[in-house]
Amino acid sequence: MNISPDIRTAGLADRLVASRPAELAAGGPEWLDAMRQVAQQHFLQSGLPGNRDEAWKYTSLRRLEQLAADMIPPGDRPADQAEAPIEPMWPMDAPGFSYRAGHWALRPQALPAGVSIQTLQESLQHADKAHARVLRDMLERVDVRGRQQAFAALNTAAMDTALVIRVAAGVDAGTCLAVWQSAGQTAAQLANVRVLLVLEPGARLRLLEQFQAEQFGDSAVAGQAMNLLWQAELGDGAELSHVRVQRDGAENVLLTFTDLAQQAGSQYRYAGFELSGGLVRHDISSRLLGPGAHADVSAAFVTDGERHVDHHVKIDHVSPGCSSEQFFRGVLGGHSRGVWNGKAIIRPGADGSSVRQSNANLLLSDLAEMDTKPELEIYADEVEASHGATVGQLDEKAVFYLRSRGLSEDLARRMLTAAFCHEVTGRLEDKQWAERIGQLLDEALQAMGLKAAGDL
Amino acid sequence: MTSMLSIRNLHASVGGKAILKGINLEVKAGEVHAIMGPNGSGKSTLGNVIAGRDGYEVTQGEVLYQGKNLLELSPEDRACEGVFLAFQYPVEIPGVNNTYFLRAALNAQRKYRGQPELDSMEFLRLVKDKLEILHISDNLLHRAVNEGFSGGEKKRNEIFQMAVLEPSLAVLDETDSGLDIDALRLVAEGVNRLRSEDRSLIVVTHYQRLLEYIVPDQVHVLADGKIAASGDAELAVQLEQQGYTWLEQGGIASVDAASGQRPGA
Repeated sequence: MNISPDIRTAGLADRLVASRPAELAAGGPEWLDAMRQVAQQHFLQSGLPGNRDEAWKYTSLRRLEQLAADMIPPGDRPADQAEAPIEPMWPMDAPGFSYRAGHWALRPQALPAGVSIQTLQESLQHADKAHARVLRDMLERVDVRGRQQAFAALNTAAMDTALVIRVAAGVDAGTCLAVWQSAGQTAAQLANVRVLLVLEPGARLRLLEQFQAEQFGDSAVAGQAMNLLWQAELGDGAELSHVRVQRDGAENVLLTFTDLAQQAGSQYRYAGFELSGGLVRHDISSRLLGPGAHADVSAAFVTDGERHVDHHVKIDHVSPGCSSEQFFRGVLGGHSRGVWNGKAIIRPGADGSSVRQSNANLLLSDLAEMDTKPELEIYADEVEASHGATVGQLDEKAVFYLRSRGLSEDLARRMLTAAFCHEVTGRLEDKQWAERIGQLLDEALQAMGLKAAGDL
Repeated sequence: MTSMLSIRNLHASVGGKAILKGINLEVKAGEVHAIMGPNGSGKSTLGNVIAGRDGYEVTQGEVLYQGKNLLELSPEDRACEGVFLAFQYPVEIPGVNNTYFLRAALNAQRKYRGQPELDSMEFLRLVKDKLEILHISDNLLHRAVNEGFSGGEKKRNEIFQMAVLEPSLAVLDETDSGLDIDALRLVAEGVNRLRSEDRSLIVVTHYQRLLEYIVPDQVHVLADGKIAASGDAELAVQLEQQGYTWLEQGGIASVDAASGQRPGA
């Protein structure tokens, strides 16, 4: 079925853009409201991206269109939500917040001094001038122009929840949880959520994001969609470690955009584990603005059936003396599809930059497809850059070696596939987290039924 | 003595090309047989056929292991029945820890035999004993399977796996290749410690050197997919002195005279 972009946009627009909740629309600063009006216009004018747009060429939005057709208008959302925090699938005694169907709640654990989690509204009301300025700059920096920015525009226009996490200068916030639960109600919804992370100079935060479905694996529930936009401002020497474990419903749409500005000496480490979801896309972009800034972006994904997992990374080396690394591993079975587009730009004058990129993928079925594209744009001298991208199958010699010791073919394949993914867990600093995530990965691989894949 | 392995008129091909052309071999429990022969004579193919590697097609003949038809079993079932192949080129498996892998393998075999599985403490105790017997350092336990191992370490890891899995029939495929004399001696010592009345070994080698340390009960010379000559350990010495070309030049008669056996007997 071919739907023209205009109809798709109109269909979505009716249901999505008008959903600006009263609490944000009223009482907000005028500039914010104006910004949202502009974003809405841009969204309606440009429509959704499609295969004409380079960055969206391989990302089919069919699943989102299907959901949109059944989406209930925002005003009719079922009020089946208690504003109590939701327990994460991987329980942990740490502060943070949870979110479900337009409602968020703080976790009961106390935040350390110097750390706050507030709505954007509260934050703007109570912020000192400097912080208010930072927030406004961050919001204004989001590019909402053009089809390729449609989801940023939609997020700005229709955000139902906007949170600000602030870590004061020099404070180590420890671990904070972000628990997202897609609802299991019968009607499809699309959530537009924004989170602004402000790490002042020398601040540190370990963010553990857990995506979970209310009824994991229950295909009877309607698909849900989420358009999540993270923005992070890392001051001089600030350190953000962001780990995400995603086990969303297999029919759900999850679009995530992470946008960072990194000052001198700041460190950003991201490790994503995409274990489920129907259409999953994560665009990560960071600008390295001061010497010594480092961005390390990695992810492992496991996908099968008709699912789609997509990563678009863009690291912009603006300042000299910065380094970045991208490390992605994908396992694809069934009829699934994966995309990795890893870009690094070294701006003129950004001498002494170092860039490493690695993307390897295992195809476990003849019908699975992986599109991988490393991209280096180098305009400076004295740059150290390396990249590699591979798509292949399990090493049959290794499979035989394991079988010759008594392991079943099923177990041998699973062990080798898990080892492939564990290259990403092995990069985590926290070995306990690595072990727990390793188990979740193994469960996801087990659910794939690798034996069938071996028969192909 | 009971029969461990009985190979009768075995023909096998790889990629449509006939490699084994009628092998006959009888190995009794507790015996050590050496298979020698020039490159391309089919030595490694024999090991791979016994272990059940894909791509090795048996076109004729049979292989009976403890009276059972070995050829109809999957590679893992052969292992669980007690067949072990020490690889000529052990495979590097990044990301799979050696201990984890070996425990999974041992427990798969124990489960198959209806024995209780070993927990990690019990397994570690067993492994430490074996390491001590073989004089292998335990840092091998913490590494990924064969990853970054030297040639000698890889071969010793094979013997270590054999010690833990305690097979009834082990085929050592050119376990001596690429080893210096010290490493060779260590590996051979390890193998000798594993010799027992109810374990049979087939030692596949190109050179006689290994057989100075692992003294075989019988030596077979493979040429062009057939056993061209069989004899006792003396045959290996003779081969070393005269080389394989002598075989092709019709030297078999003198072998027969020396050892008093007919080929394939």
